[in-house]
Amino acid sequence: MTGGRLHPFTLLAIAGTLPALAWILPAPAGGAVTTAVALVLTLTPGASPGLAGTGSSPGWRPGLVVLRTAVLTAAPFWLFLLLLHDVPSTIAIGLRLTTMIASVVWVGALLPPGRLVEAMVAAGWGVTAAYLFAAALSAVPLLKARAQRIVDAQRCRGLSPRGGLGRRLRALRALALPLVLSVLHEVDERALALETRGFVPGARRTPLAPPRDATAERVGRWLLLVGCAAALAWRLAWRG
Amino acid sequence: MARLTLERVSFWYPAMGRPALRDVSLAAAPGEVIALVGNVGAGASTLLLVAADLAPRVVGGKIEGRVNFRGRGKGEGGRGIVLPTPWTQLSGMAFTVWDEVAFGPANLGWPRERIAGAVDRSLAALDIGALAARDPATLSGGELQRVVIAGIIAMEPALLLLDEPTAELDPEGAGLVWRLVRALAGDGCSIVVATSDLDALPEVADRVVWMEDGVVRRIGAPALLAEESVCEAGLATTVADVWRTARLGAPYPLTVAQAERRWRQ
Repeated sequence: MTGGRLHPFTLLAIAGTLPALAWILPAPAGGAVTTAVALVLTLTPGASPGLAGTGSSPGWRPGLVVLRTAVLTAAPFWLFLLLLHDVPSTIAIGLRLTTMIASVVWVGALLPPGRLVEAMVAAGWGVTAAYLFAAALSAVPLLKARAQRIVDAQRCRGLSPRGGLGRRLRALRALALPLVLSVLHEVDERALALETRGFVPGARRTPLAPPRDATAERVGRWLLLVGCAAALAWRLAWRG
Repeated sequence: MARLTLERVSFWYPAMGRPALRDVSLAAAPGEVIALVGNVGAGASTLLLVAADLAPRVVGGKIEGRVNFRGRGKGEGGRGIVLPTPWTQLSGMAFTVWDEVAFGPANLGWPRERIAGAVDRSLAALDIGALAARDPATLSGGELQRVVIAGIIAMEPALLLLDEPTAELDPEGAGLVWRLVRALAGDGCSIVVATSDLDALPEVADRVVWMEDGVVRRIGAPALLAEESVCEAGLATTVADVWRTARLGAPYPLTVAQAERRWRQ
């Protein structure tokens, strides 16, 4: 079974367990194992660059893009850690941070937000909680598109975002204000739109395509939770 | 029996001393298409919000008078409104056009089979079946407008309120929407539409309501759009306006067909 076919909650459970274990297990061995697992997961068949990159192609290439994204995201943290700490501490903390980053990038690439929302609705979560989650995820491309429109409009009137650092900062400031104000301005209209489409507190929403949640996966999620608790108990006892 | 009745309705937006609507009375029968026309600030959009039960309930403000709607509650057989800015009408909870259109029916708790049928019919009615798998965030303004309208139609409202539904559309898209409006009215849906696409109204509207400064100035047949006072207010059809500007004599024709007949006489 590829990661893409797992239930969204299972994917989240895996992505949550790895960082938890990275911090619970003794460094650097624990972090090294969890980092290795998380990085291998980024190569999982079914992972699509999605938020991490653009386009997709069959085979391992999308996984490689996800892996590259995870590594490139983690790299600056290693540099900062090296500036602030000695080498053993850098390795210990760096591996834990890399596990966290790789897990998030992996689950982001593998799990379409809509599928997670469907799972939440099917599991009986309130529509408000599901909405908060989905709206936050869907806001990224919308804000990106709007920011581009604002930049285009400003360029038409002579404000170029290109050039030296000072010029780029000025362009960023000019972009931020209209972007934030336009988002705030739309809140009212979006509330009206949701209201008229039956999205009201307490609505009994029909899940459109609820993901299958196999018993084995449910058991697996509990095992992950128990495993984390056991590792924590062992670590506390071992320390004591 | 009217589906929507407004009796001497006045409405004030929050913190506004002057009412946006004053003493408005209007009734919409099942299967009737009512067009609201007026210049900016006339109160047409506010009237739609009041009719949709969004003002003052969601918008805030104060209302006087009575608004009566005979439907089957919220959503299904209820009231649906399309606002003039399609990019703010997306649910934010759907990642394909199909899911976006299904958002409303799903909130009504319909069975999945019924939702699928309603969504497919709406997509076909708006001629956007090919967009079903697209991410709504990647659509053009015109495509988005069609998706938003489809999302409301899919909920099978008994009262449809449209605020400038063709503002983002090309002539072909606008024509499709107006034909859809007539088709829905034929199925018994009551429709109130605020529009500046005045040339379409003779073919679409059963009645025209001329609004000015929050007050209903006149209610009448679409022929109203060729009357002298309406022409002076800049709310006549293009044909009536051209005829009047050319001083070809009243009464002014409303449409090209009428103008042709007058010209031949």
